Amino acid sequence: MKICIVASAGGHLSQLLKIADCWRGHEIFCITTSELVVSELQRYGKVYTVPECNRRHPVEVAKVFADCVKTILCERPQVVISTGAAVGCIECILGYVTGAKIVWIDSIANVNALSLSGRIIRYIADVFIVQWPELAEKYRKTRFARIAV
Amino acid sequence: MIFLTVGTQFPFERLIKAMDEAVALRGVGEEIFAQIGDSAYLPRNFEFAPRLKKHIFDKRIRQASSLIGHAGIGTIITALDNNKPLLVMPRRKKYHEVVNDHQVAVAKKFEKRGYILAVYAEPELPGKIAQLRTFVPWQCSIRPQKAVEIIRQYLNQLVDCSGKR
Repeated sequence: MKICIVASAGGHLSQLLKIADCWRGHEIFCITTSELVVSELQRYGKVYTVPECNRRHPVEVAKVFADCVKTILCERPQVVISTGAAVGCIECILGYVTGAKIVWIDSIANVNALSLSGRIIRYIADVFIVQWPELAEKYRKTRFARIAV
Repeated sequence: MIFLTVGTQFPFERLIKAMDEAVALRGVGEEIFAQIGDSAYLPRNFEFAPRLKKHIFDKRIRQASSLIGHAGIGTIITALDNNKPLLVMPRRKKYHEVVNDHQVAVAKKFEKRGYILAVYAEPELPGKIAQLRTFVPWQCSIRPQKAVEIIRQYLNQLVDCSGKR
């Protein structure tokens, strides 16, 4: 299957790469937010980068969104796997509307509540993993499994 | 060498400046190198780079005796994976250093479990740096197998389904 793995550079990506075993044997392409990590990701497949963006900069978000639309239409993944943040959220939504299955792992940084992205993606995710047992109790249809730390 | 890292997405001048002042005041007994991102404040008392490529960053981490940074998960994972003592100061929303105060929650949670040291305001920094020298982080066992298993199973299911169609 063709799988898109997507995460912002930094903590989100470090967490995602901890579970690299799960996509072994599939065709992979990656989307991230910094050139600094491209070489690390190339071992899995083709790498796309988009600028960093967050909820404070809606114009940037719109630009990234346009980039992501292009990538998803060009690649047409069957599954999107992400740990966030904004770019992961955007890619999951686009994946969903183009028929891909969505696997979301909410970052361990979200200790007391799901991330904003997580709260959105929960409605469209096929697999939704949280990393604190309290969160699995708090939110329906989530499963607890630690990937980081 | 103490490696100071604050991520590259947003600047974190409060920590860079506090470190610079701590070094100027009494020194920390060790050389410091910092990855400071797009910081407008440039440290005067130690060497720094705005951004390091991943392999150079990793090399600096390996060479470091201990790490100081923001309470980003990437930094915490890096420290624990490399078994390096880490002191964090969380970014705060009120200073526009981050979009919410999740780093405070993260710092408290990991500090409580003995994985890291944390300071929550600049004046606490020099005292904690002294503690960092002898701090031995709690060894954590990272077992992502359960998550890998859940996802692999799901992917296999999808492959089976598409095969049958």
